[in-house]
Amino acid sequence: MNNLPKLIRRFTGILLLSFILLLLVNFVVLAFLMAWQSPSVASSPYNVAIQTGKAFQASENGYTLQEDISTQLKQQDVWAFVVDNDTLQIVWKTENLPDTIPTSYTLSDIADLSVGYLDGYPTYTGKTQNGIVILGYPKDSFWKHTRASWNYNFFAHLPQIIFIVLTVNIVVILLIYVIANVRFLKPVKPITKGIQDLSVGEPVHIPEKGLLSDISANINRTSDILQEQRQQLKKKETARANWIAGVSHDIRTPLSMVMGYAGQLKDDANLTDEECQKAEVIVKQSKRMQNLINDLNLASKLEYDMQPINSAKQNLIAIVRQVVVDFINMDIEDRYPIEWQTDEALTVCPINADKDLIKRAVSNLIQNSINHNEQGCKIYISVTADNDYCTVIVSDDGVGETDELIEKLNKTPHYMLCDKNTTEQRHGLGLLIVKQIVSAHGGTIVITNNSYGGFSVKFTLPKSK
Amino acid sequence: MNRDYLLNKRILLVDDEQELLDMVVSILREAGFCQIETAKTVKDALDSANSFQPELAILDVMLPDGDGFSLMEKLKGGYPVLFLTACGEDDDKFKGFGLGADDYVVKPFLPKELLFRITAILRRSYKDENPLVKLHGSQIDFSRAEVIKNGEHIPLTAKEHDLLSALYRNAGRIVTIDALCEAAWGDNPFGYENSLMAHIRRIREKIELNPSRPVSLVTVKGLGYKLIAEDR
Repeated sequence: MNNLPKLIRRFTGILLLSFILLLLVNFVVLAFLMAWQSPSVASSPYNVAIQTGKAFQASENGYTLQEDISTQLKQQDVWAFVVDNDTLQIVWKTENLPDTIPTSYTLSDIADLSVGYLDGYPTYTGKTQNGIVILGYPKDSFWKHTRASWNYNFFAHLPQIIFIVLTVNIVVILLIYVIANVRFLKPVKPITKGIQDLSVGEPVHIPEKGLLSDISANINRTSDILQEQRQQLKKKETARANWIAGVSHDIRTPLSMVMGYAGQLKDDANLTDEECQKAEVIVKQSKRMQNLINDLNLASKLEYDMQPINSAKQNLIAIVRQVVVDFINMDIEDRYPIEWQTDEALTVCPINADKDLIKRAVSNLIQNSINHNEQGCKIYISVTADNDYCTVIVSDDGVGETDELIEKLNKTPHYMLCDKNTTEQRHGLGLLIVKQIVSAHGGTIVITNNSYGGFSVKFTLPKSK
Repeated sequence: MNRDYLLNKRILLVDDEQELLDMVVSILREAGFCQIETAKTVKDALDSANSFQPELAILDVMLPDGDGFSLMEKLKGGYPVLFLTACGEDDDKFKGFGLGADDYVVKPFLPKELLFRITAILRRSYKDENPLVKLHGSQIDFSRAEVIKNGEHIPLTAKEHDLLSALYRNAGRIVTIDALCEAAWGDNPFGYENSLMAHIRRIREKIELNPSRPVSLVTVKGLGYKLIAEDR
């Protein structure tokens, strides 16, 4: 919507500029035409008349006209005669003088013909020694301005007047433009708002009337289609998440049976060591299946935004500490010693988070280290804080990963979220869930190798104020 | 501490699958529990609850003629309830705990895990029967809030009692600093770490033979504390 005033400004600017340019061009063209069409100073009839007057020579037996002027006149089909100052009679004339021209004149006749016409011929006068020469140009060859007379003030203030007229013109044109625009933009406004709402996925309904009702109707239809598609997508996603939830639910009871009996056999004193070990493998593998089921369900729910995130103010250190202690309490054989590297002076690190999900993320990371280091490894855990962020680092001194794989873990999406089949080695859901949880809390995650030679994951969450 | 009295508790087990019932029963029997009844429907469960008078109920959530949550409300026996179910959603868990369940175990589970939780519930619910806890150099009598060391009876303050109970409930396991603060100071236990250290020092003076070299209440640096009881 901010673009609209800008648009109007731009248009008005262009309009004004083109208006002024057009005017300028008009002036130039007019000037050019005048210069081209109007006779040059030397050949203007006034000048010719004055020259002709000077070219007469008076003698005892009358006037004689210089040869070159007389031929020039003849060429242009101009006639001429001379009226004497004293007698007011024609004392000389060219041969082509029409018969209708009178032979004697009064002073008022002379005054008339000097500014106007004689018998329809445009006439021009020049001065001779004792009289006045009158040139008659062919009819309709010139138009004479016979009564030109203006107020002197008008001419004195002509520049100002032109400026005022131009300004008024511009203002009027602008007014017309603005009024027209406002009337035009009125129906445009809901349309631009509609398009804006479309872009953020809100349902749109614009009244379909006025000049642009077609466009409004199209936008409404687009919105309907988008909403429908969104609903269908949501339906599909829900169905998929429900399906996964259903499958993982149904597997739980049979798996309990496998796990329960194997767990009993594992500790059965009547069985041989070898048999007990076999039972232990069954327990271990069903444990893996259990984790997989839990992970699958949570990952799909997080992916489709179906996992409710119950955020509250939490102490990140307390959460991580609890997870660590749970692992230490569980790890009876002490194959995976955990070293708590958090500064003891740091006791509180407040975050706004879902406690269970953060716990899940941290325990996934620890479990990840355990899963990838069958031979056992040491796990280092630290929580640090600066002004705005809390950071958790889970490292181990185990086998680590190739730089290539780490790059891949950082950059490429998990195969579960890929839109193409991949034959690449598939890594578990543990890290994916950590990523999903961290991003759901507005945090970032980095996976690296570390100085212990093992694997390291660092995630950072914004501190709550 | 003697655990036999716990093994005599009457346990009612409700699940719609016979095979699961058989398995849990075998787990419980192997662990030494001897008074167990099973039911496969809400109706059966209510019937046996009347005649059997259980002291602990283990319920599934999904039953053929109802659900475990409403069954729990109908039982109203004043005895602890543990849900053992395939419904692992947080909402279900919250619902269970919200109704007053004592624990919520999601299938699948390891026999040990189930037994640990059952014993923990029973000990919490029926703790008064044998209150004397034997430590390396002393004994704790929770019912009287006192420590008996070298024949001498030393009283415990309320906070010391709370802390020791929390530690004893998880005897042999680390209890985090945060969990201990919560046990002693309630829901918003920020910034009590130093007080906690002072209390732990005083508890050691009461229960340890040599408080500067503790053997019963040991520190796990940065994480928490662990109570080591003699008979567990």
